[in-house]
Amino acid sequence: MKRISLLVCASFLQGADSSGEFSKLVEPILVRDCQGCHGGTQAFSNLDLRSRESMLKGGSRGPALVPGKASESLLIQALEGKGGIEMPPGGAKKRLPPEVIAAFRKWVDDGAPWAPAKISSKWTYYDADLWAFKPLRPFDRNKRVDDFIDAKLAALGIKPAPAADKRALIRRVSVDLTGLLPTPEEVEAFVNDKARDAWPQLVDRLLGSPRYGERWARHWLDVTRYADSGGYSNDFERPNAWRYRDYVIRSFNSDKPYAEFIKEQIAGDELYPGKPEAVIATGFLRAGPWEHTGMSVEAVTRQLFLDDVTHSTASVFLGLTLGCARCHDHKFDPLPTRDYYRMQAVFSSTEFARPKLPFLAEENHEDPRSAAEIKNTFDYAKTKVSEYRQMGAKKLMEKYGVTKTEDLPKGELETVMNNGAGIPPAEFEKFKLYQKHMQIYKDSLDRFEPKAFAVSSGPMDGETDGGQQLRYPKRAAYRAPVVHILPGGNIQSPADAVSPGVLGLLEQYGEYPSPKIPETVEGRRSKLAHWIADAKNPLTARVMVNRIWQYHFGRGIAADPSNFGKMGKKPSHPELLDWLSGYFVEQGWSVKQVHRAILLSKAYQRASVNADAKFVQEKDPDNAALAIFPPRRMDAETLRDSILQVSGELSLDAGGPGTFPQINEDVARQPQHRMGSLAPVYHASALKRQRNRRTIYGFQQRSLVDPLVDVFNGPTLDLSCERRETSIVPTQSFALFNSQLTHDMALAWAAKLDGRKLDRDAVVARAFVEAYGRAPEPPELAASRAYLDKMTEWHKQTPPPAKPVRKSVIHKITSELTGQVAEFVQQGDPDDYEANLHPSDVKPETRALADFLLALLNSNEFVYVY
Amino acid sequence: MGLGSIAFSAILAADDARAGVLSPRPQQLPAKAKHCIFLLMEGGPSHIDTFDPKPKLDQLHMTKFQKAVNKFEANMNTGERYYVKSPFQFRRAGQIGIEMNSSLPNLADCVDDMCFYRGLKAESVNHPTALYHLNTGNQFGGDPAVGAWVSYGLGTVNQNLPSFVVLPDVAYPQGGSANWSNGFLPPHYQGTPLRPAGSPILDMTPPPGVTSSRQRAGLDFLKTLNQSHQQRHPDHADLAARMESYELAFRMQAEMPGVVDISKESKEMLALYGIGGPNKDADALGRRCLLARRLIQNGVRFVQVINMGWDSHDYIDTAHGVRLAALDKPVSGLLKDLKRTGLLDETLVVWAGEFGRSPDNGIRRGSTAWGRDHNANAMSVWLAGGGAKRGAIVGATDEVGGSAVEVVHPLRDFHVTLLRLLGLDDARLRYLHAGRDKQLSQVGGEWIPQLIG
Repeated sequence: MKRISLLVCASFLQGADSSGEFSKLVEPILVRDCQGCHGGTQAFSNLDLRSRESMLKGGSRGPALVPGKASESLLIQALEGKGGIEMPPGGAKKRLPPEVIAAFRKWVDDGAPWAPAKISSKWTYYDADLWAFKPLRPFDRNKRVDDFIDAKLAALGIKPAPAADKRALIRRVSVDLTGLLPTPEEVEAFVNDKARDAWPQLVDRLLGSPRYGERWARHWLDVTRYADSGGYSNDFERPNAWRYRDYVIRSFNSDKPYAEFIKEQIAGDELYPGKPEAVIATGFLRAGPWEHTGMSVEAVTRQLFLDDVTHSTASVFLGLTLGCARCHDHKFDPLPTRDYYRMQAVFSSTEFARPKLPFLAEENHEDPRSAAEIKNTFDYAKTKVSEYRQMGAKKLMEKYGVTKTEDLPKGELETVMNNGAGIPPAEFEKFKLYQKHMQIYKDSLDRFEPKAFAVSSGPMDGETDGGQQLRYPKRAAYRAPVVHILPGGNIQSPADAVSPGVLGLLEQYGEYPSPKIPETVEGRRSKLAHWIADAKNPLTARVMVNRIWQYHFGRGIAADPSNFGKMGKKPSHPELLDWLSGYFVEQGWSVKQVHRAILLSKAYQRASVNADAKFVQEKDPDNAALAIFPPRRMDAETLRDSILQVSGELSLDAGGPGTFPQINEDVARQPQHRMGSLAPVYHASALKRQRNRRTIYGFQQRSLVDPLVDVFNGPTLDLSCERRETSIVPTQSFALFNSQLTHDMALAWAAKLDGRKLDRDAVVARAFVEAYGRAPEPPELAASRAYLDKMTEWHKQTPPPAKPVRKSVIHKITSELTGQVAEFVQQGDPDDYEANLHPSDVKPETRALADFLLALLNSNEFVYVY
Repeated sequence: MGLGSIAFSAILAADDARAGVLSPRPQQLPAKAKHCIFLLMEGGPSHIDTFDPKPKLDQLHMTKFQKAVNKFEANMNTGERYYVKSPFQFRRAGQIGIEMNSSLPNLADCVDDMCFYRGLKAESVNHPTALYHLNTGNQFGGDPAVGAWVSYGLGTVNQNLPSFVVLPDVAYPQGGSANWSNGFLPPHYQGTPLRPAGSPILDMTPPPGVTSSRQRAGLDFLKTLNQSHQQRHPDHADLAARMESYELAFRMQAEMPGVVDISKESKEMLALYGIGGPNKDADALGRRCLLARRLIQNGVRFVQVINMGWDSHDYIDTAHGVRLAALDKPVSGLLKDLKRTGLLDETLVVWAGEFGRSPDNGIRRGSTAWGRDHNANAMSVWLAGGGAKRGAIVGATDEVGGSAVEVVHPLRDFHVTLLRLLGLDDARLRYLHAGRDKQLSQVGGEWIPQLIG
């Protein structure tokens, strides 16, 4: 910041404009650093710094300016961080350089003459801010990743850590590429493989594993906010959304060229008609939360979609915070509001569609067990609704003294059917509940139907899908709606109409011409997709290789992967970022080739400890230069999957409608409000092979996230998650040390080890290898023996608890009608629920072993990857 | 770690070293309130039938009119409509002489400590978006809740308890746990829902058969494993923090049951809150209000009590009547209890729903049912204690209660005011997320001086 500001000073000090101190020294800073927040109708603290008058008038803290008295002027105090205000915000680090503040002081002491230069009031940009919009540096085929990393380390005078040992390496790369631990056999094979190419062979094997796509798709789904439900009041299911999740997994596994991956997601329906895969891909455009109900305003929910898709497309592919330009010109980046709405106009003819689309050979869509269960619950709800309707009809017939429903006055029967008229108030909430459940299960049945959660350009008659009560025009009468600029984002006061277009900043700064986007119904998105998925677009490759780098090293070369604008962190290795981008394009947009370039580098294979840690810490506190490989806590999915894996319980069944993992029972049974009634109880999948699948295959309900995933910093399903945080909170300890799931898995693991018929020490050794990839040290073995002995004794003395009786669930809701609380019995687990092993099923020694294994699952060595 | 996390760790570097413990932090501005109890009335209580009566509606009652279809109105709010008078009796209460619903006799004793505000406007007429707006400042969810921002700003006093606690009603509200989300703030600030029965915090109670001695033995063995591992990674700071978090968790496990146990409260105290009386709804809400007081007393920074069922589209006499009867003792009991113990001075109590209700109703199913629909243009909220103005009625709505007309402020100004009362400055309480400095009010706002004592 400081360096940039000095650059600025230099540039305007030498400027040709000579209309006085103000225009040279003060005005550019006001424009660049102040007026973004303190200007216009939404000025912070009501303070407008755009004119002398408005400064004198001041804001909620009083006048900003006392001409002639710099020390008494709030403006100066704020710049100097005195009097409890600090501007620009962000503490001393963000303070303007002293010479700039001195110029402001002098200007105020001179009476604050206002003599604006005759220059545009447009934002001023400086070289360093614009790095991402400029063309890529020419690609040098002779360079390697390490050339750039080593150069920076040398410049800092840092000696990097030596290569990591092979056990650490295989654990690191297995988790990184597949999200699972290496098996003991894989570890030993790699450790004993003395071939020169053992490492590249290992990398290739992992890149070729189907588990790779499951791991890397999760990263993409974080960014695109994939979920199986729509959020808000009803959080209705999106029964075919899972096909998009599987599409992403397949795309990573097959190393689909990234340019094609982009085009399919933005305009697959237009560009590849007849390619079902590409229609499924457009699920991306609808991934955000969205709902329309009787209380919604149609113009508002349509706008909600348009804003979401505009923002999301720019953020995911281009790393731009375009959403900021919805209400006003972007305060920091050259993104005028006009550009925001021009890009939005690209989507103005994009309508929701749920076309029939035959299943692909590679799609796993059959789940007879779940389908049958859903059908049963749907039928049950339907029967109940029908009973209540009969009850209502009977009451009404009594009221009108007729014996046949046909004899009821016109309209009355309809009120019974739709609104439950005639049902006694005490029963009415139950009628509403079953009606709601019918609606919910009807959607769930659609999971198994060959349809796609997609879009089309203009409506597809008969195959539309947009929630209840949304009116669709007929295709024949359809015209693409004209998009207007909405100042302040307010749909009730549209300003100028705009034609569809792309963002002007890349033409302006990046030597990348903007194409013309047709105003026809079709073809808008195709043009946008081509503009993004082009080697000449300087953002596209940079943003993607930076995301890839981040997932390998925990931090991007540019550390804000979805903000390549002025406020995003500048890249630590700008030349490397460009080199990788060039390499990516040269390799035909192959993601796997980028992985190889990174994984085969020395930088990736370094140890996580450095002999000279203190020196490095001082020189490079964030480890941006990568002197060591940064250790990382497993993310939520890796943690759950690895726990299931070592326990022997992980199911590698892949693809298909979301399954339901075992989650905390209190959360499963927690009543969930769904507009006017309650959701059914959460049921874990009855079969182990379903509920113990990899986490990515779990049903993603926006309003009911698995608390284990949530507490270990799982992704927010409503906002794009560009990077997982790793916090340490005590509730994580509860989730791992106290939960039924980890206790069950530890017991399953113990039973699995029992099956090996090993002696006690060999069991301990095997457990260490499975969890950590290494044998125990003698003191660890001794401590383990002692603990096992102690717990064996304890379990011999203490009988196990009784098996739980599975009960039905009582739910309550406060009636909107009567204000009273109504109670329901919700269905409990199905009869064929395949129970986990229970402590009473095993002998005391096995229970003691489970206690030991539970500690391993909780240990730092298990959850951290080096 | 992103920009946000770095900003956070810069502020809270000491905390990070201590396993993310939320040490207390000084207020940014001088203010009385140190804690907040936010009574969230889910569904949108009717201002017209509670604290802002409209006699004009007695004259207009059942007058029909046509509200044109407007593309900016929900279907439900258009078509043939009729005015609805309030079915309730009103009385004048306190020195301030507020006209309020007579079915709140106990609350009427407290009005001179309360600040009623009739000028607030919400934006959305849809429950989840309006709830997100009230709770997080952002209609579309995903942002930190008010309680998360307050915890971020002030930290917590008792390290063994969460700093932001939510006491939900019988079901989670519309929009679910996003209503108490930490959003982009670190998860330390997430609201922790306390469950009325069983383990108050998820998995705080181990499965059956795990005694405290067995648990302690496991923890000790875990510690041995971790120490051995730490020796091989001496520079990895997170290891110590994670080890400490297990100890913290088990201190929390030891302390929490005592805090949530209300069985040792006196009979008089329970009666004050309506607990144990004939009204079961009052009993349930009373327990949450009493628990809120106990949590505050034990150092929790922000407690949100949720009371649902205010969405009275039809038959407002019974639907609202039952709610009001359940509200009176628990909420007045809370105010009286806080006042008696002196806690009211440092505890800001807020009462608000996501919007108000309409003076008119739609003709649905061909009939009239005397209810009220959603109304974002007018509502009644109140504050008490914690430096809020004592005994005041601020702002006004038009003669039928359709829209706020005096001291009108958008919700974001209300948020800025709540922060201000807690000693936090919305303009400075920011968090750098994805390259943008974010704040509760989203775009900045003004505090409402009339609400501050």
